Amino acid sequence: MIKVNNLRYKYQKSKDYTVNGIDFQINEGEIFGFLGPSGAGKSTTQKVLIKLLRGFEGEIEYQGKPLNSYDDQFYQDIGVSFEMPISFSKLTALENLEFFQRLYKKTVDLAPLLKRVGLWDDRHKKAGEYSKGMKIRLNFIRALINDPMFLFLDEPTNGVDPANSRIMKDMILEFKQKGGTVFLTSHIMGDVDELCDRVAFIAEGKLREEGSPRDLKLKYGRRTVTMEYRENGELHTRIFTMEEIKSPAFFKLLQEKEIETLHSGETTLEEIFIKVTGVKLRA
Amino acid sequence: MPNLRALIQGEFIRLNKYNLFAANFVVLLFWVFLVWFLEGDVLRQFIPVIFLMDSVMMTILLVGATLFYEKKEHTINSVMVTPVTENEYLLSKILVNALNSLITVAFISLAVYLIKGVTYNYWLLVPAVLLVTVVHTLIGIRLSYSAKDFTSLLINYMIYVFVFVLPPVFAQFGLIDASVARFFILLPPEASSILIASGFADVELWKILFSYGYLTLLSMLMYWFSVKPMFNEYMMKEMGV
Ligand SMILES: Nc1ncnc2c1ncn2[C@@H]1O[C@H](COP(=O)(O)OP(=O)(O)OP(=O)(O)O)[C@@H](O)[C@H]1O
Ligand SMILES: [Mg+2]
Repeated sequence: MIKVNNLRYKYQKSKDYTVNGIDFQINEGEIFGFLGPSGAGKSTTQKVLIKLLRGFEGEIEYQGKPLNSYDDQFYQDIGVSFEMPISFSKLTALENLEFFQRLYKKTVDLAPLLKRVGLWDDRHKKAGEYSKGMKIRLNFIRALINDPMFLFLDEPTNGVDPANSRIMKDMILEFKQKGGTVFLTSHIMGDVDELCDRVAFIAEGKLREEGSPRDLKLKYGRRTVTMEYRENGELHTRIFTMEEIKSPAFFKLLQEKEIETLHSGETTLEEIFIKVTGVKLRA
Repeated sequence: MPNLRALIQGEFIRLNKYNLFAANFVVLLFWVFLVWFLEGDVLRQFIPVIFLMDSVMMTILLVGATLFYEKKEHTINSVMVTPVTENEYLLSKILVNALNSLITVAFISLAVYLIKGVTYNYWLLVPAVLLVTVVHTLIGIRLSYSAKDFTSLLINYMIYVFVFVLPPVFAQFGLIDASVARFFILLPPEASSILIASGFADVELWKILFSYGYLTLLSMLMYWFSVKPMFNEYMMKEMGV
């Protein structure tokens, strides 16, 4: 369980706070999505949470104890994948993983992980000769080799093909099912919608909104149904509230007209993102 | 320090894969090549220079090259989110370089013996080389901290050589007055030179003792007051991920 209270962080070089007073809580066994426009401070927050950037203001608690009271043994239970894939380019994928594996007390078998993400056949290839997607997958399983309790994933599926993205998402969900806790940032709203139990939106260093994807969609969506139908060759659109769809008028149209589309007014995370952060998604 | 072994092993694998061993080996072959052509007194004066160059110059360059790669590939960030402590990380660098210097001593000494039949006091040489390597690993790390790329590390290195190595050389040629030159023992390369020379010729005991004490103290001071405190700042600068 992670508790963050009035967290502020300023890079030495910059004059403004990159993270400017945010509060949130990540409950045990949930996937927490941290969303926001490019440059909002998501990766910065992740690096503060994993004790890489020191000198933050405010409070961060892990399992009820302040982050600063943990020594490097803290990392025995933490798995991290950075925004950019990192590896020793001249070592093979397997050598990379084996090096990191030796630094932990507890480790898992590499073969099943490598096979799962489709890197087994290329395990003896140098990491530097991997494609971008392969590097990202390598970094993803590197985060799992110590059988962590917490996973910090900075845009884990960014740049991965749909099939492998599916596999990685399944692995993240399985990690959660086994009781793991995940802090995840992503710009892929479909992934966030599918994976996250709760999300928070950060913009300009502040949290703008927080909640489960479902609750947010209800909050920001319109409780309406939009009907499009054709009459005498012309397209008509009618909008009904959730109360009105119980009315005879709605049923009459359903029965008599040639209905082309029928949509509920529930919104998407993407629209919520744009609304609460005031910024368009990265292309 | 349970991770030390794993770190050292990893470092050796990387020195090998990143061809730094190969580069080091080429330099060693070059020394052997020179030894081949030297005889008598010139040879006996030249051998300590090999060990001095190796434990000063090669140490700084090797540690600089490994830090440069770690910076370039951001792998230092990855290592720092494992249970590895700063002390383990820094100590692994020191020990790897110390082991490397021992390999050099063994290789060169064997070659010199086989080719020329020359021997010297290994019992005095080995500890001298080890201490000199430790100091210069720390100096190498420190120089890398304030270098933004490998070129600027080389420049820092040249400045180091210029400021600390040249004065004693000038003094030898009588270009600097002996009353000033007395204090050159305080320059790390000069103290190093004295220690290494003790394996080959008679050196005044006080100079040996002083150099050991001085370089040991310097290592400790550099570790605690320069290298370790700056490590975190260096890490922050690394944060390109
Ligand atoms: N090492 C650094 N030194 C100074 N400023 C930095 C550093 N790293 C990031 N920043 C600044 O902090 C701000 C937040 O960056 P951060 O990487 O946290 O954004 P992000 O939300 O992860 O964006 P993205 O979605 O593009 O990954 C940016 O303005 C960035 O320029
Ligand atoms: Mg980011």
